[in-house]
Amino acid sequence: MKTNVMMQLILKDWRLNSRMIFLLTLAGASALALLMIGGKAILIGTVFFFVAMIFCACLLPMQNIVNEIKKQTIPFIMSLPVSSAQYGAAKLLSTAGMFLISWLALLGAGLYMIVGRHTLPQGVIPMGMILMGFPFIGFCLVTGAALAGESEGWATAALAITNSSYWLAWYLLLTYVPSLNKGWSSPVPVWTPAVFKVLGAEFAIVFLILGLTMYIQSRKRSFI
Amino acid sequence: MNDYAIELNGVHKSYRFFNLQNIALRLQRGTIMGLIGPNGAGKSTTIRILMGLVHQDRGEVCVLGHHMPEEQIAAKWDIGFASDDMRLYDSMTLGWHINFMKSIYQSWDDAYAQLLLKRFGLRAEQKIKGISHGQRVKAALLLVFARRPKLLVLDEPTTGLDPVARHEILRELTAVMASEGRSVLFSSHNTQDVEQISDQITFIDRGRIIDSMDKEVYLDRWRRLRLEVPTGIELPTLPGVIGLQQTGRLAVAISNAFESHLPNAYENSGARVHAVENMTLEEIFVANVEHSREEVKA
Repeated sequence: MKTNVMMQLILKDWRLNSRMIFLLTLAGASALALLMIGGKAILIGTVFFFVAMIFCACLLPMQNIVNEIKKQTIPFIMSLPVSSAQYGAAKLLSTAGMFLISWLALLGAGLYMIVGRHTLPQGVIPMGMILMGFPFIGFCLVTGAALAGESEGWATAALAITNSSYWLAWYLLLTYVPSLNKGWSSPVPVWTPAVFKVLGAEFAIVFLILGLTMYIQSRKRSFI
Repeated sequence: MNDYAIELNGVHKSYRFFNLQNIALRLQRGTIMGLIGPNGAGKSTTIRILMGLVHQDRGEVCVLGHHMPEEQIAAKWDIGFASDDMRLYDSMTLGWHINFMKSIYQSWDDAYAQLLLKRFGLRAEQKIKGISHGQRVKAALLLVFARRPKLLVLDEPTTGLDPVARHEILRELTAVMASEGRSVLFSSHNTQDVEQISDQITFIDRGRIIDSMDKEVYLDRWRRLRLEVPTGIELPTLPGVIGLQQTGRLAVAISNAFESHLPNAYENSGARVHAVENMTLEEIFVANVEHSREEVKA
């Protein structure tokens, strides 16, 4: 029986990056711990928390995909019984998996801080979920550019665009969907149709980017 | 079962500044073929096409009975590929790489891997970033050899190695070949290495295969004739002579289809044959490339 090479490639990536995932999650968790202090530390903790998430969204694709291109380890991997489409799928799954570990862990910890420890009113949860979608989209863009573009240049360009767009996206959302501004201080989450629409749009963008990346990857005629 | 480990027919690949044209190549199972060409000749592109990493625009590529690139996954289970631009993971040890390969290939031969570690002077606990270029190449080849693949495809594996490391690698390649049914395609611009281990030689230049045959036939067919040409005598154009250089009374004729009657033919024309010399593979390669380029110009 032949080995599942894709699974081995995913495990290999996880082993190579396990320390980084741990450190990023730890950084995010430390930022959340600041919320416990209360007062101005809540603001600092929230900012640090999103910085950790954005850092995670940038660093993982750069480390796991771009480094493989830069350090020329791709020929070694492509000498194994995998096609370029399988390589792309394995990279996407391993990078997304690593990101999701940190993302879900921090999301869970954030929700616990709000719901379990009452550090912030529960009304911030819908907006928090929307904001958590930003680094997720940023991560998908950088990952897609790195994989499809096969170059540090494309990945860096995507990185620059996403990092400078977070605040713009935030500003545009609040300007064009004013209902999102309501209910922040409510003791319970206010799930308005606008919130669901924005979350749905975020998911659609994520799937579109990842689908497009896989499509481009499977159409490649020259690999390495 | 197909007799050929590698079969390329009418393969074309176009890039903006380089074209691989009408490549036809056959490697019989159980033999070593040396693919020789200058830098930028198309060796690596040809190898990447037969590994399925680059898709040909036209033509058929069959490796171990599998059509490439469509069946590259099935083919690559039995191909060991190493190239000079291949790098291992810097931050990990050789032992980590060995375990990674073991997790994929059930054909992994642990005893042989241990033997190679000793022969190549490597240590499993060494991190890749801490070892020399020569040791990195040996480490990459260890990972390929210990899989016991049916076909080895090595793209300039000895580039940048010192003579001792080159010798160790070539010796191991010869040992690998002692095992029945294994085939090797070995690209290099170092003709000495190729001459040492190959059964067949293929010359490639500017994206075209210019010649391909058994090494012994090559060495047997190519000769250099040193001639003295008395004043007033004009050397005839003889079949099988691809190059003739004359400086004053001395001339050198290069033949790529030497026959025993060739010296007599020159003698009969009034010239004196001072020597008939065998040529090294490097000399044959250079003469062949120059002749091919002149033909293309003409």
